[in-house]
Amino acid sequence: MRRELEALVELRARLLWRRFTARGGIAEGVATVVLVAIAVPVGIGFAIAVGYGAFQAVKAGGGLRSDVGAAAIFFGLWQTWTAVSLTLNDREGLDLRRFLVYPVPPARVYGIGLATGVLGDPMGVAWGAMLGGVFVGAALARPGAWLLLLALTLVAFAAATVVFVALLQEVLAWFLSTRRIREWATVLSVVASIAILGVLQLASERPFRVVGDLLGPLRILQWLAWPAAFPAGAARALFAGRPLAALPWLAGLVLATAAAGWLSFRIALAQARTGGGSGEGARGAPEAVRPGWLAGRRGALLEKEVRYLLRQPLARVDLLLAPALMAFVAWKVEPRIPAEAGEVVRALPLLGAAVYAHLLLQAFWLNAFGWERGGARALFLAPVELSAVLRAKALVLYGFSLVLFLVSAAAMAAVGRGGPPPWAFAAALVLHAAAFPWLVAAGNLVSILRPKAASFAVQRSAALSTASGLIGMAIASAVMGAFALPALLAIRLESTAVLVGGWAAMGLGGLVVLRAALPREARLLAERRDEFLPVVCGDDA
Amino acid sequence: MAEPFAVGSRLAVETRGLTRLFDGKPAVEGLDLRVPAGAFYGFLGPNGAGKSTTMKMLTGLLRPSGGEARVLGADLSRDGLSVKGRIGVVPDGLALFERLSGAEMLRIQGQLYGLDRETSALRAGELLEAMELAGEGGKLVQDYSHGMKKKLALACALIHGPDLLFLDEPFEGIDAVAVSGIRRMLQDLVARRTLTIFLTSHVLEVVERLVTHVGIIHRGRLVAQGTLDEVRATGSLEETFIRMVGEERPAGTGLSWLGADPA
Repeated sequence: MRRELEALVELRARLLWRRFTARGGIAEGVATVVLVAIAVPVGIGFAIAVGYGAFQAVKAGGGLRSDVGAAAIFFGLWQTWTAVSLTLNDREGLDLRRFLVYPVPPARVYGIGLATGVLGDPMGVAWGAMLGGVFVGAALARPGAWLLLLALTLVAFAAATVVFVALLQEVLAWFLSTRRIREWATVLSVVASIAILGVLQLASERPFRVVGDLLGPLRILQWLAWPAAFPAGAARALFAGRPLAALPWLAGLVLATAAAGWLSFRIALAQARTGGGSGEGARGAPEAVRPGWLAGRRGALLEKEVRYLLRQPLARVDLLLAPALMAFVAWKVEPRIPAEAGEVVRALPLLGAAVYAHLLLQAFWLNAFGWERGGARALFLAPVELSAVLRAKALVLYGFSLVLFLVSAAAMAAVGRGGPPPWAFAAALVLHAAAFPWLVAAGNLVSILRPKAASFAVQRSAALSTASGLIGMAIASAVMGAFALPALLAIRLESTAVLVGGWAAMGLGGLVVLRAALPREARLLAERRDEFLPVVCGDDA
Repeated sequence: MAEPFAVGSRLAVETRGLTRLFDGKPAVEGLDLRVPAGAFYGFLGPNGAGKSTTMKMLTGLLRPSGGEARVLGADLSRDGLSVKGRIGVVPDGLALFERLSGAEMLRIQGQLYGLDRETSALRAGELLEAMELAGEGGKLVQDYSHGMKKKLALACALIHGPDLLFLDEPFEGIDAVAVSGIRRMLQDLVARRTLTIFLTSHVLEVVERLVTHVGIIHRGRLVAQGTLDEVRATGSLEETFIRMVGEERPAGTGLSWLGADPA
């Protein structure tokens, strides 16, 4: 058993080392160092804040102040950790499917994969620092043996959060592995959202506020956040000086974590044993006899891109997450914006949704060929201009991003303060259209210069390398920074025309830039095919 | 200095001094290939000899480090799109969009090569029948077995009616029945003089029964080229191949932990 463990640990270490020493690995190493360099001070900063919160909560020694402090610490940490992990987590090192052939218990491989995923994650430093902050704050407020139980609670909380993320990823992957379910879920979500938007535009009143009223009785759903709920309960008891009362909470946390870990492992194992296929059986009638909806080479490229994107689990997750997240923003944030803030400021959540649609699809405009695998060769072998390929990818991605935005806007209108004023909706559409050419023109360069063979599953492998992710952050920040200027001017002048006009002008500039960039990027792609194809096709994996 | 290409020659593929370096080391060096139009050309060589690298250079997937190549009379580096439209390729590692169904893959491939949608769909159906994949047309390519993918890749290479077909190890990893079916189809295509086939393979027995011309590459250099009879002379192709690329290797000493006395 020890030898097996050593072999697995060595394998993980070697894979990590190869990642940094492979072609372009130095950039990856630098990017990881940069991420750690960001994570450490951020972690320390937040650790001090969280530690101060814990100090105050322990000092209060029970009551509302203590209870709110405990809940804020654990729910806040859990929420951030989960969100960041779902976005960035990269557990490509130990894929269960590859290990079924070895005489090593799959559960052990899975467990090591989880543990090394956390240790290899630069953000792990930040979470560790924050948990350390909680402990130090509590220790300074009231030293004593009870701190041992608090330490156990913090460790169990960390394990529970990691397991929760894994379970969520496995469930999503399993759910999305059935093609029929995926297709119906996508269609239903789009149709329902558009219908809601239409009804809202027609309705003079706000009949859908009832959705918000329904959320009250659904508070029981907070137990879905069990990795935070149990330790918050334990911490409330510990902060109040009742260590025995914390034990049931702690036991509940351990049991729930064990159950979730077991479930997550069983789903992963079942998926691995089915080969991770699409789950789609053979159908009698081949689709070749069904006519496609677009003719010619351009039509073929567009059709291929649409089908690929709609069969992409990441895109489907975005389609489900974006409206939910934006509905939450509309529910919680919009009512808190005072009326006197001005109409531009009041429109900010909707404008944010327009930008967020592009940010959610970052992996697609930063690694446009990442999911092509062998198909990338077909694009180089076929008698088509590579600029046409890039154009088709951009068009389809823009269309999908627009759907994402419209669905989000519909969800916001449903739970928020009714439909948006027409000018705000128009401004958001202009912002959405105007930012895209800039993002995709820059993103294409990253796609060509730093490609990565991405996985189709949501829970395995990252779609972007660390370096590409950082470059993407820089591109998005620069573009959004530039687009913020008209917004600032519009707020100052209280003129919505400045906002829409400024963005429209920037959008036209972006179109000119993209039009000029596409042929050049296509030439660069053709020139770099020797390095590009082995990476995208996975030949050098 | 390399001789100029023969004007008006009926050569489907002609290279002069074709070279490809990887990290300064030659994978293919000074290759002078001559593949007559209408030939079934078997390009043979041991693992790592440079077969796939050559094929990638001839199909535009890899840039040559030196030399010249003409495919169907045109320079691939200058007339890329027109040449690409007239060739079909089954490359090493295949070139399939795995998230399309087999039928979608074929139809879209046809459209990419300039067929209209209806013709492409019609040919896709016919090809699926011919490849015995008709019942699997609605399945995603990623769920196909290796042999099914090979057959689909061959169908993709044929859908637009190419003048020249490049096949990299088409028989690797597929069962004997499928090999026999593909072999019959290729023989039929060549017998009808509809196209030229350039094929690499390790399966010398199958190659010998198929090809009209042979080229043997060893360590990146062409060591023999000509008609099948010219190259194999009096022996079999396998004997000729081993004589040309085989090396003296020490006899196997066995593995110390297998078959040893447990005592």
